[in-house]
Amino acid sequence: MRSAEGRGRTLDEAVDAALIELGESRRNVDVRVISEGPDETLVEVVVIDQATGPSGAASPTNGKAEAARALVEGLLKHMGVRAQVTVRTGTDPITLDISGRDLGGLIGWRGETLRALQSVTNVMLGRNLAEGERVIVDVERYRQRREHTVREIALRAARQVKMTGDAITLDAMQAFERRAIHLALQDDPDVGSSSIGEEPDRRVVVGPRKPAST
Amino acid sequence: MPGDRAAALRIRKAIALVNAVADGAGDEDLTPTEIAEAIRDCLELREIEQGSNVRKYLGEALDATSDGMPADFVAMTLYAALGALGESWSED
Repeated sequence: MRSAEGRGRTLDEAVDAALIELGESRRNVDVRVISEGPDETLVEVVVIDQATGPSGAASPTNGKAEAARALVEGLLKHMGVRAQVTVRTGTDPITLDISGRDLGGLIGWRGETLRALQSVTNVMLGRNLAEGERVIVDVERYRQRREHTVREIALRAARQVKMTGDAITLDAMQAFERRAIHLALQDDPDVGSSSIGEEPDRRVVVGPRKPAST
Repeated sequence: MPGDRAAALRIRKAIALVNAVADGAGDEDLTPTEIAEAIRDCLELREIEQGSNVRKYLGEALDATSDGMPADFVAMTLYAALGALGESWSED
C-alpha cells in the first residue's frame, strides 16, 4: 500500500504536498492527521487500494463476494444499466464497486437509489451471509468520496473548535457519513462529536471534549 | 400535490430511520417501536388511498418490523412504497 507524509502550514497544504509526492488525486487517497499545530500540520496520505482485477473477479477464496458481484451484475443487466461490477479488495465488509458511464441515475437523490440497490442486494444475498454481515454497494466511489469529504469537513471543524472553543453543528447527514465523522474524531483528545435531531435531519455537533468527571 | 409530498417526506423519514439502524452510525439507539411509529405515521395520512399499493407496502413494512425482519428488508419494502407513490403521481 503506497503512502506518503506531507507537511504544510494548513491541512490542505500538507495533503497537497503528500499528493504531489504520490502523484495521486484527492479522491483516491485516505488522509490521517498525525499532528496539528499552529504553525505546521503533518498528515499521512495512503493510496486507496484499487487493485481490482481487470475482469472484476473476486478472489477465488471469497465465494460470497463473487456471488454478490454476480447478483448485482445481473440486477443491473435487468435494469438495462451497462456497467462493470468489481469487488474492492482488502475491505471488510465486502464492497462492490459499480463503474461505467452516466451512472448518476443509479446514485439518485442524496444517494437514495444507490442505498435502495444496496438494500435489495443484501436482502437477496441474505441466505449467503452470516448474521450481521452486509455487502456495501458503491457507484463510481460515490460513497467513498462522501466519506472522505465529510472526514475532511470533520477535521476542519475540529480545527475551528480548537481555535474558538465553540461547538459547530454540521449539516444533516446520513448514518454512514455521521459514522465517518465520529471515527475521524474519536482519537482527538480535545474535540469530540455527538449527534442531535431526528432522522432524516440528524446532525453531528463537533465540540470541545469535556474533561472526564472525577 | 402537497399531500403526496407530505407522504413522500414521511416515508423518507421512515427509510432514514431504518437505514440508520442498518448503517449503524453508532450515535443513536433506535428501537423497532420508533420505526413502527414512523411507518404508522405514514399510514395515518389520508392522502394515501385505501387499497393502494403504497398502503400495501407500508403495511408489509410494518409487519416486517414487528416480525423482527432485517433492517434491509424493511428498507426495501419502504422503497417499494416510495416507488408506488411516485407511480401514483405519474398516473395523475
